[in-house]
Amino acid sequence: MLGAGPVVAQTEADQSALREPPVRIIGFADFDYDTTDVHGKQGFSLGQAVAHLVAPLGDRLNLFSEISATAHDSDYSIEVERLIVKYDFSDRNTLSAGRFHTPIGYWNTAYHHGAWLQTSIGRPESVKFGSQLVPIHFVGLLFEGEFPGDRGFGYNVGIGNGRHSNIARAGDAGDINDERAWTALGFYQPRAIKGLKAGLGVYSDRVTPPNSVEVDETIYSAYFALERETPEIIAEYHHSDHDARTGPAASGSADSAYVQFAYRLGGDMQRLKPYLRAEKIDVDATDPLLSGLGLDYDGAIAGLRFDFAPYAALKFEYRDEKFGDLERENSFLVQLSVVLARQ
Amino acid sequence: MLSQDMMRTLVKLVCLRCKRSLLAAALCVVVSQAVAAEDAREITESEDRPVAIVVHPDTDISNLTMQELRGIFLAEQQYWPDKSRIVLLVRAPAAYERTFVLNRIYQMDEAEFRRYWIKKMFRAEIPSGPRVVFSSNMALGLVTAIPGSITFMLASDVGPEVKTVRIDGKLPNEPGYPLE
Repeated sequence: MLGAGPVVAQTEADQSALREPPVRIIGFADFDYDTTDVHGKQGFSLGQAVAHLVAPLGDRLNLFSEISATAHDSDYSIEVERLIVKYDFSDRNTLSAGRFHTPIGYWNTAYHHGAWLQTSIGRPESVKFGSQLVPIHFVGLLFEGEFPGDRGFGYNVGIGNGRHSNIARAGDAGDINDERAWTALGFYQPRAIKGLKAGLGVYSDRVTPPNSVEVDETIYSAYFALERETPEIIAEYHHSDHDARTGPAASGSADSAYVQFAYRLGGDMQRLKPYLRAEKIDVDATDPLLSGLGLDYDGAIAGLRFDFAPYAALKFEYRDEKFGDLERENSFLVQLSVVLARQ
Repeated sequence: MLSQDMMRTLVKLVCLRCKRSLLAAALCVVVSQAVAAEDAREITESEDRPVAIVVHPDTDISNLTMQELRGIFLAEQQYWPDKSRIVLLVRAPAAYERTFVLNRIYQMDEAEFRRYWIKKMFRAEIPSGPRVVFSSNMALGLVTAIPGSITFMLASDVGPEVKTVRIDGKLPNEPGYPLE
């Protein structure tokens, strides 16, 4: 895409092709090795293979899709992670319909299913794929806008299906109840400070888990990100309130936060990028939606990313983690992640 | 002297047709080194020359601030004021003009530049990255042919068929021009 490719002949047909961009595909894949001091799955594994497809549907209308293949014990699961039809009213205002990564906090919309994109091997525990803490996917409509002027204030507002009865999934085939989820996020991204983005958001839904009480959920989020190489800083906080609407009166909340710091070295070492991340998740014992799921977490990771080729990275990561009531776990992971980004 | 494009084409033809020939391989090395030397000589000779920002002649823009130019080159602005889509043409790696623009406008190195566009596409913010052009002649041809296009080249390479945009009110070779 951005490097040397086939020389484009200056024929009329080629110029026409340049005017209307063709369908573009970006592919991601990763291959992992995991060893840990507690009993569990270890060894080599295929991570996710991801195809990101972009197709123009009109002058201002584009289709973005992201399809993943994930290895399991005996098969692969194929998932439409994102499918977005997006219309640009202008540079500042867009309207999208489809399946998104929910605009809650930073990581969930900044990094998607390609491991190569993110500095670390995995996502933070609170926003990992399949998270029950934060609804990762959202099916519906999303309006993204920026306020007039060049101050860098913008917002996202959306309405959609929210969580499925399996609360780790979105309601892809329809909402499980009569209450749509909605989300609103305001952010500040000044052009004068490269890579800086900070935001506050709120998400609300009525959740109907199977064989359980109906719960009203409100999630507040705040983040600060300095997306640079020297340094990269990402900090994110979520607070979730849950109130039971049926059955015995119950309410509770969950809090999660992480901070990640990374710094690309200079000179001959510029292919190396060490990083650190600390994270904590705390769920109330009275929470009617999330208690009993073992979501409490306390972890720290230290890693080194080695960009040994323009489109390939090796990452080495040590993790010290405690999941729920389980004993503390130490693990060492290696990941080879690649991106296929040519036209 | 052969142009760079012709020399590169010659290298490709020889390599493709005589893949297994040691003689051809040696010839490829010699010609490739000649092309590299030509590139290096051009870079050295280009170092004092300003880079011009040029647009399709029908584009209703005559002046941009550096901040606006940076917004366009980063695809933060994807539409001209007349609501037509901006088509960004960028020189292939190793060209002096590309290195200059990465330093002065993007403030990124090659690796950061690649990551920037991949992330931008993956975040569904743009339908495509910049189109790559391989010579000033190709840039001139395409910016003339594609409505809404914008590119950069050495001011000395600009032809009469395109419009040169003032940056912060200055044209190339005027005192205070920011892309010297």
